[in-house]
Amino acid sequence: MKVKVLSIPVLDQTKALAFYTEILGFVKKVDVPLSEDSRWLTVVSKEEQDGPEILLEPSPKHFEPAKTYQKSLFEAGIPYTQFNVENAQEEYDRLAALGVTFSIKPTEMGTVKIAVFDDTCGNNIQIVEML
Amino acid sequence: MTFYQSEIQKIKNSCYANTTQIQKVVATRKYIEEHFDKPLNLDSLSNAGFTSKYHLLRLFKRYYGQTPMQYLIDKRLEKSKKHLKNGMSISETCYLVGFESPSSFSTLFKKKLGSKPSTFQKKQFSQSRSITDF
Repeated sequence: MKVKVLSIPVLDQTKALAFYTEILGFVKKVDVPLSEDSRWLTVVSKEEQDGPEILLEPSPKHFEPAKTYQKSLFEAGIPYTQFNVENAQEEYDRLAALGVTFSIKPTEMGTVKIAVFDDTCGNNIQIVEML
Repeated sequence: MTFYQSEIQKIKNSCYANTTQIQKVVATRKYIEEHFDKPLNLDSLSNAGFTSKYHLLRLFKRYYGQTPMQYLIDKRLEKSKKHLKNGMSISETCYLVGFESPSSFSTLFKKKLGSKPSTFQKKQFSQSRSITDF
């Protein structure tokens, strides 16, 4: 078995695609229409385009328990997932300048430095720099 | 304060309170990052001035979740993928990232990354060619 696709639940796929590509810097990889208002939509890291794909999955829109789960995590401030960065402070500065809201500013946690931001699609996302 | 923020604070206080130990393992990781292409082992890392051999092994595993040598191998393999993608030969890549023999490099590469370096390189070339063809 190989890890090829990981999913992030999003409330609005079009809005999510804009945020994950234009703000975070991911690249769209696959975009297949599945129904009138759903797509199999994945993005990949710009510098690792053969790496794992992130599926921007519209589950909260179609499945109430997914919506409840996402909302509960968000309200508790818990990140849905995390991305590695070279420099957490620089990434924080870049994203903050683009208007991204952080619930945790760059903070050292032993051997890592973390920060947590709102992806505007219903999730907290953590960035991690290994120290 | 959110639930996550309070949890983070608790973990910080319980797991990462010993800043001296953390500084040692962080310095060890940085040393590996900067010298991965040199013949490193537990003795040389220990001699680099961080701490005694077995203490270093324990600390590194505790804070990074893998031994210094496992971390070093992953680092070398990650670097070797970049060189192979850029068209460097397998033996040149092997020595440049710090491995000692192309055959053990090839075996390790296959074990950890699922294909031999030669197969990996062919796949990269065919992928980039199909992109150019379009």
